[in-house]
Amino acid sequence: MTLLNRGFNISLLDLDFRAPSLFNIFGEAIKTPDLWWLNDFFNNRCRIDQVPIDISESCNTDRKILIGLANPSPYAILDMMWKSQAWEASALRKLYSLRSIFLNKMNMDYIIYDTSPGIQYSSINAVAASDLRIVVTTSDPLDIEGVKNMLSEFHDIFENKILILINKVLPETERSLQEKEKALLSQLEETVGHPVIGVIPCYCDVLRAKRNYLLSLKNPTHPFIQKLKEIAEKLIKY
Amino acid sequence: MIDEFKLLNLRINSMVKLIEQVINSQKELLRLLSENYGFGSFAETRVVPDVMTLLSLPSSLRKTVLALYKLGEATAEDLSNETKRLRAVESTCASQLARMGYLKKKRVGRKVYFYIENHFSGALGKREK
Repeated sequence: MTLLNRGFNISLLDLDFRAPSLFNIFGEAIKTPDLWWLNDFFNNRCRIDQVPIDISESCNTDRKILIGLANPSPYAILDMMWKSQAWEASALRKLYSLRSIFLNKMNMDYIIYDTSPGIQYSSINAVAASDLRIVVTTSDPLDIEGVKNMLSEFHDIFENKILILINKVLPETERSLQEKEKALLSQLEETVGHPVIGVIPCYCDVLRAKRNYLLSLKNPTHPFIQKLKEIAEKLIKY
Repeated sequence: MIDEFKLLNLRINSMVKLIEQVINSQKELLRLLSENYGFGSFAETRVVPDVMTLLSLPSSLRKTVLALYKLGEATAEDLSNETKRLRAVESTCASQLARMGYLKKKRVGRKVYFYIENHFSGALGKREK
């Protein structure tokens, strides 16, 4: 929403084919009777211009927000798990083609790919076709160590920028974070070896809430949303 | 002695003919395999450079493959404009990748185009319509 408010057109694509979630989050905003999934595009069943759904009206914005959904049906999830090397190479080419169409023909300013966690074909394809990666982790030392190991192996392979976002930081950690935020951030950056774009505390009400609506529309003053706004502002500078 | 040499010559000639027949049938077999299954000589072998393959390539070659994914079909000049490296460097990298079987090349007039071939979508350079 911050990007929209700043006058950018954005698109959000669900490349997490193993656990699609955007369909549920944007379920109420989707009014299109004929739905084409990103799965269909990658499987050569439709063109890319048939996939995006315009939800600008539901988001009360004069800018454009397009979403591309992954098929949440168990059959589609299974289908995407058993793809050949040649299919994955074709998918990478399609991602590049998609990026070109969204940015040049659909006048998008940002394309955000939501990928599966860990090292999956679809995630690495998305990384290869991106300019900037945001690695989301928790403050759990094991998670941070995992991120550090992954980035030490893969960080310079695709030559794109990497930012770390620490999510669900426990409240007591958050208090100490406020006290000596700079010291902690630099400590985290030193551990992981990449800039930390933000630290989001764990908000129990956010975790308990139903995920079928946009919190930024329902409760724009929530501290969680304020944190996201700060992060989005920093992101624009990159 | 002379008769023995003549006999030896005849045997050698028949062996040469047999070897020629074997070579010809092997050539025919290779041609059929190449036409039907995409197998062939090393230079003709098709290996699809997916992201996992990219991870194993040296960064100089990876850069060329990624540029080709972005551009589709491209000459060394086009690749050079994309990667900001010298045309000669791109030409060497692309030719090496073609020899390794990752790329294919074709000549159109005086220009040589490199592309990634994939049986899922033919030449991956074909853009979405």
